Amino acid sequence: MTLLKRRFTVRALTSHALLLLLALCAIPAAFAHTIAGSDANYIQAIDGPAIAPFIYLGAKHMVTGYDHLLYLFGVVFFLTRPIQVFQFVSLFALGHSITLLSGVLLNLQVNAYLIDAIIGFSIIYKAFENMGGFRTLPRFHLNPKWAVFAFGLIHGLGLATKLQAFDLKANGLFVNILSFNIGVELGQLVALTGVLLLLMLWRTRPTYWQYAFTTNTALIAGGFLLTAYQLSAFVLGAPN
Amino acid sequence: MDSQPPQDNDTLTQINSLKKIGLATVISAAFALVILLAVVLPAEFGVDPLGTGRALGLLDLADASAGPLEHAEQAHKTDRTEFILEPFQSVEYKYYLQEGHSMVFSWAANGDLIFDMHADPEGMVGEEGVESYEQSTANASAGVYRANFTGIHGWFWENRSFDEVTIRLESAGFYDSAIVFRDGGSFERELGPVL
Repeated sequence: MTLLKRRFTVRALTSHALLLLLALCAIPAAFAHTIAGSDANYIQAIDGPAIAPFIYLGAKHMVTGYDHLLYLFGVVFFLTRPIQVFQFVSLFALGHSITLLSGVLLNLQVNAYLIDAIIGFSIIYKAFENMGGFRTLPRFHLNPKWAVFAFGLIHGLGLATKLQAFDLKANGLFVNILSFNIGVELGQLVALTGVLLLLMLWRTRPTYWQYAFTTNTALIAGGFLLTAYQLSAFVLGAPN
Repeated sequence: MDSQPPQDNDTLTQINSLKKIGLATVISAAFALVILLAVVLPAEFGVDPLGTGRALGLLDLADASAGPLEHAEQAHKTDRTEFILEPFQSVEYKYYLQEGHSMVFSWAANGDLIFDMHADPEGMVGEEGVESYEQSTANASAGVYRANFTGIHGWFWENRSFDEVTIRLESAGFYDSAIVFRDGGSFERELGPVL
């Protein structure tokens, strides 16, 4: 048994190293996740309701939003029953819709870097929870459903800060924010479908269980790096 | 051995020892810290605590990207000038700009002129290396210009009408001086900094 255990550890460590390297390769392109370029110019110029463009921008923001996607990946990683997926994703969507809408409409001013740092932390939290970390620390135990709702609120605040960075016109604001929110949900649906399909395929193979722990370790590393990056930006000012 | 590891059906999580989880978390944090210090800080923020940014050439990444603010070494200058063009007369007026330096300009005339906004790189003779950016007929134009190379950058205007045309140019930019080509000769204009 000890021999088996040691073999498992060695294999686990090599696979950790491998996955961390993979994660490293994915990093450079993935950092400044804001709305940029012609999309940014477009948003600033809009005066009045523009449903389709805002739906598109919301969906694009979600599909290309590695921070939201990493968190969602962590959320659904161990969810096998459709009803569970539905419950968790609905709670997440409810959470971020509340803060996205109210954040922009009430003009809540929060620091985008700090919010993004907490979003990074949500990835650490979820992966740690997946590993069973909170079972070993029962004092800090929080119901996973409450956690996904709470982090949904934070992710929504992050979405709100991205939109607030622009000088949005009051004319058609509510319709536009609502459209952006609908786009976010559609984008999330598209991304989630892909992630769930891949996970379902992977679950039929033994490597799923072999690398479940490693995958969540890589997820934690990604969360740490995102958090550290956002905190650096908070301290040092916007990256060049 | 390869069957499912224990799982907690209430919390939908795996069951692992605190030691294993702690180790994985610490390794992840250490990994993230190393990447942050060695790669991310130099490439994104131009901060190089370990010297790896210089060694790997990552510092250039942070410098090269154009943000909303770009600093210049010296104060900008402003210029305001006026030319009178008799029928079929022409004039060429250009600023000496270093590569990457910019100016904003507006010119207006009381009649249509044909013009060619172009630049001559420093140290080249004749038409060699000349880049033309706009050739048209108009009585006014305004914009922002950023020099792609060090040299003289400006306009050729020609009056093809039978009336006298007066043209006024105003500009502000990080140029050093201006040069006028007229009637087969040229002379330089010193411009004062705005302080």
